[in-house]
Amino acid sequence: MGAETPVFSYEVTTRELAGLPDARGDSVKGMLASNYGVEVGAIRVILRYQVKADLTAEEAERAVYDLFADPVMEQGSVSGRLLDDPRIFPNAPHTVIQAGFKPGVTDNAGQAGLDGLLTIFPHLAGAAAVATSRTYAFWDVPEGVDPLWLASKLHNPMIERAAIAKRDDCEAAQWPELDFPDQPALEQTEPAVVDLEVPDEHLIEISETGLLALNLNEMKAIQAHYRDEAIREARKALGLPAEAPTDAELECLAQTWSEHCSHKIFAAKIHHVDTDTGEDSTIDSLFKTHIMKPTLDIQNEVDWLLSIFHDNSGVIAWNEDWSLCMKAETHNSPSALDPFGGAMTGIVGVNRDILGTGLGARPIANTDVFCFGPPDYSGKIPEGLFHPSRVMRGVHGGVRAGGNESGIPTVNGAIIFDDRYLGKPLVYCGTVGIMPRRLPDGRESHDKTPTPGDVVYMVGGRVGYDGIHGATFSSLELTEESPSSAVQIGDPITQKKMVDMILEARDEGLIQVITDNGAGGLSSSVGEMAELTGGADLDLAVVPLKQAGLSPWEILVSESQERMTVGVRPDDCAAFEALAALHEVEATVVGTFTDSGAFVVRMGENVVAHLPIEFLHDGCPQLDLESEWTPPEHEPISFPNTDAQGMGKLLTMMMARPNVASKEWWVRSYDHEVIAQSVIKPFCGVNHDAPGDAAVIAPIQGKTQGAVISNGIVPRYSDIDAYAMAAASIDEALRNAVCVGVDLDLIAGLDNFCWPDPVESAKTPDGRYKLAQLVRANRALDDVCRAYNLPCISGKDSMKNDATLHGEKISIPPTILFSLIGNHSDVRKAVSSDFKSVGDRIYLCGESHQELGASELAYMLREQIDGVSGIGGRVPEIDAERNLAMYRALTAAMGEGLIASAHDCSDGGLAAAVAECCFGADAGANIDVSKIMGDCTEIDSWGALFGESLGRILVSIEPQHCAAFEAAMNGHACYALGGVEAGDQISISNGDETVLTASMSSLRAAWKGALDGGGPQ
Amino acid sequence: MSEVRVAVLSGFGINCETETMAVFEMAGATAVRVHVNRLVNGETSLDDYHIMAVPGGFSFGDHLGSGRLMGNRLRFGLRDQVRRFVQSGKLVIGICNGFQVLVKMGLLPGDEEVSLTQTASLALNDSGHYENRWATLEFDPNSPCIWTKGITRMRVPVRHGEGKFVTNDRKLLDRWSESGQLAVRYVDPAMEYPSSSDEVLPYPISPNQSWRNIAGVCDPTGLVFGLMPHPEANHSTWLGATWTRDVDQGEHGEGEGMAIFRNAVNYAEENLL
Repeated sequence: MGAETPVFSYEVTTRELAGLPDARGDSVKGMLASNYGVEVGAIRVILRYQVKADLTAEEAERAVYDLFADPVMEQGSVSGRLLDDPRIFPNAPHTVIQAGFKPGVTDNAGQAGLDGLLTIFPHLAGAAAVATSRTYAFWDVPEGVDPLWLASKLHNPMIERAAIAKRDDCEAAQWPELDFPDQPALEQTEPAVVDLEVPDEHLIEISETGLLALNLNEMKAIQAHYRDEAIREARKALGLPAEAPTDAELECLAQTWSEHCSHKIFAAKIHHVDTDTGEDSTIDSLFKTHIMKPTLDIQNEVDWLLSIFHDNSGVIAWNEDWSLCMKAETHNSPSALDPFGGAMTGIVGVNRDILGTGLGARPIANTDVFCFGPPDYSGKIPEGLFHPSRVMRGVHGGVRAGGNESGIPTVNGAIIFDDRYLGKPLVYCGTVGIMPRRLPDGRESHDKTPTPGDVVYMVGGRVGYDGIHGATFSSLELTEESPSSAVQIGDPITQKKMVDMILEARDEGLIQVITDNGAGGLSSSVGEMAELTGGADLDLAVVPLKQAGLSPWEILVSESQERMTVGVRPDDCAAFEALAALHEVEATVVGTFTDSGAFVVRMGENVVAHLPIEFLHDGCPQLDLESEWTPPEHEPISFPNTDAQGMGKLLTMMMARPNVASKEWWVRSYDHEVIAQSVIKPFCGVNHDAPGDAAVIAPIQGKTQGAVISNGIVPRYSDIDAYAMAAASIDEALRNAVCVGVDLDLIAGLDNFCWPDPVESAKTPDGRYKLAQLVRANRALDDVCRAYNLPCISGKDSMKNDATLHGEKISIPPTILFSLIGNHSDVRKAVSSDFKSVGDRIYLCGESHQELGASELAYMLREQIDGVSGIGGRVPEIDAERNLAMYRALTAAMGEGLIASAHDCSDGGLAAAVAECCFGADAGANIDVSKIMGDCTEIDSWGALFGESLGRILVSIEPQHCAAFEAAMNGHACYALGGVEAGDQISISNGDETVLTASMSSLRAAWKGALDGGGPQ
Repeated sequence: MSEVRVAVLSGFGINCETETMAVFEMAGATAVRVHVNRLVNGETSLDDYHIMAVPGGFSFGDHLGSGRLMGNRLRFGLRDQVRRFVQSGKLVIGICNGFQVLVKMGLLPGDEEVSLTQTASLALNDSGHYENRWATLEFDPNSPCIWTKGITRMRVPVRHGEGKFVTNDRKLLDRWSESGQLAVRYVDPAMEYPSSSDEVLPYPISPNQSWRNIAGVCDPTGLVFGLMPHPEANHSTWLGATWTRDVDQGEHGEGEGMAIFRNAVNYAEENLL
């Protein structure tokens, strides 16, 4: 296909039929109104497909309605612009904007169009390309709305281009027309040698200008390696530069040693000082001390922890025949730059972690937890950042497309808001997988079985310039110079084909070892697996490329998506390739696993990298870090003077807080029921709109054993103490799981840390405090997981969540997402959160204390009432032994069928929980909190209603079961509060005094309306 | 062949094949996952099966219109096999994306000649986006549809972005209505049975604002059937949207959606073995 190949522009728009709106245009209209308050008269969308191919006139015409336009409901054209056709557009629009991808950016619709073109015209294989773009035509744009502003809301200049026709252009019928996005030819650079025999400041410069994210110590460790005489001799023999690394070697080391891949802060030696207690101690690796050790201790006691810490996800035995695995990842930096593409890449990326576990697991459920700036944020947005509402829409859209198109249900999640996520949104994507305990050939599927001589295949997508330096980039803070090449757009369908193919190959016994190509690309995937056999030999010259001209180091570290690296025995290669051909998946031999002790990378005949496995994986020097804890001081909360109705108004305001409000508009557009396994869904209640707690799935159709999936996240508490934050996250995840009836003897957790940079430096003067927060969070994890017998089977950390833009630094609050997966013995006994019937009795299980420090109420009073109230006070404290004992009693009562509903008390406290349970029943409630006042001496109505004490679950019981329930809960804090009432009123008293009254309809309107995403209904 | 054999198509982004196979197995048939390319390359043939199921999913990412590209693969790559299958009196079902495929390739609502000419389509929901929510369906008792015999109502999830049934020739709607091809529609569960009507119900009772509330259609013979909602997702009582409110412990068992698959397997046992 040369430059002279003609380009055919196909245009498609909705046909004018009564009762058929242009829903694409109406959606944009709704988005502009909802996000920005801009009401446009009308918007029409025209889709454009540019086809670069030698089509005959007849072929070109045929493709209009055989491929691009629907013959029934769409209008298509290949000759001329639809906007010029007065039968379709009798009145000229007032503004027209066309937006399309920049050259080299993944265009999934274009790829699908090409596939469709080849279905009709197979002879064009290899000689055609398709690019897509969209044209938006506007009528009656409000005064003062600049077309440039409109365009900025409809495309992301990081990855897209736009062309604009203003009113004058429109009157002259001059429509915007983007060229075909031809990729400019890249110039391949020969492998370079990087001289490290330079002064220290130059070493730092090499690291910084090369985006290597290596510190001076690490650069010096590399320098020392190349000074080693034995190494120099070996390199001479291979024809490599003896005394200095090649660029490919340096890149490979940088990504393997990156914070993203090697978790240097968690592995560091930390000097920790506590000015409060006088503690002065040294911690040799937070990970080994507080995460690995407790889990290994638990592993000694149980027989179901099959694979922990060393694979792409942790694996637990679920029953005799099946095991489950789970992994959660973050994709924060890419999502800040390109919310849609970054988030989509996040979800399909973590799906590949599951596919790459053991010999391959099937992803069966996703979880999505996001942290954003407030959607109604009205302050200044630093240049280079998107408004939180746009980030939210983009991230949500990317995860929706990624999950839905992959056929994996999104079963659980959360959205958290805080001003400090403005700089970096957090995008946590988790996936649960299932695999048979044994394959048909007898091998245990959670163990990889590579041997030297196995052939290395790269399977799935091709390697491109997209995604170079993702791993090292995410180990740096976000700045205005952040490179667009670090962003990729996921391609769920390429991946879905690959997943289908890989799972068939697994069942046929064709896979010996498998891992995904995520951060660090081939360098990481082959480099890591090489550790299993003791070496690998990789040839970059045969790697299929998206565009010619990539340099060897670029091919080695590119993070282009949808790729797995698979080890196959030579005898199985033919069968493996046949399966790939059937599924139309590209599978290419790129090397061999060896036991040579080295990772050898070639470009054809030339060796471009030779790295001893030991140095590659163990050569990175340990960091020495300083940590110092001084508890922060906060002003106390100032409570307004108010009466019962005033309290009702405050509760209404609470229900509309973005952290509490219904996320229904957003969650509905995730498929949460594909695979026909969702037992407890994100929604419950008579109107299907009350919030579920944990998810319960029954993944083997027709069988009643289930799995429970839940999440806990409470970043607010970090403002007082990250220990409390971590403890509360774990308790919230477990509490949610208990609400649906999890089997407490088979639960496992995932710890996912997102932190601001905790290393003291000129840029981070408060590094010691941030590191102390990390130390305290880890100690909580250790204490609470041991107490709950909850091993952490997998985890992840993202340690540079700061953004510095034009001198302004924004750091996120230290945040842990704790995810939980557990067994459910019989899903028919699962319990949902909605109150069931009028007359059912309401109980609160667990102790309540005056714990309002850093509560949602505290922030609400500060932000929405007086602007000065502090957030200080007691932050919820954990008593894990007490909680667990109560959880066990409640679980047993569920097994007896005594519990009608169970709901977690968290953000907004008891009052918010009661309201949510009432939504599910379309009923009201009458409760008396006087009994819970005995739990502690200083508790008042604020604490009783809005306090966030841990370990509390609100349940309802049918009257005939109350006696049995009370007997079952004997010995645990459990108080009868009142009952479910007919009507629209929620009324809370403290003995004779009514302390809160509110109408359910106003609570419901506040709760459902706050985060409604808008759009036509 | 002494058993009813079901070819459940897979590949290219189809993603409901596991549960679709499961419901046919629960109904007593043998279900086989068949990659579309295994039919194209002749490794296996539709002739070996009594029922073809095109499951839900996102074939080719819904790009260029949901079901379009998969429809083209079948229309151009398997034209003769598919026509022979239908004309020999065998059964076909398309669910969600599978329904979109059957409509785009012209097999539904279809014609006597099985000409594979597209006469209807599935447009973007009026809401403009994908939604997963539960709906109540009502079936036409006078429909010739084999799959829906004897069923009055059913609660099932819809999970789609493009499910609004439309046509560019409104006279066809009357014809399909008379011939009983408008086999299943969205209804308001608060209304007494029968309540199906031509007037479009409010959102979200009609989740997509489909014309005449159409949720699914059959061909003139009643052997080929497709619908946007997912009956296979309600194969057991514990998968219902409100089962924790309305199913008692002792009453658990088969879900409402199974009736459709039992109808087909029973028909095949009686007529095709």
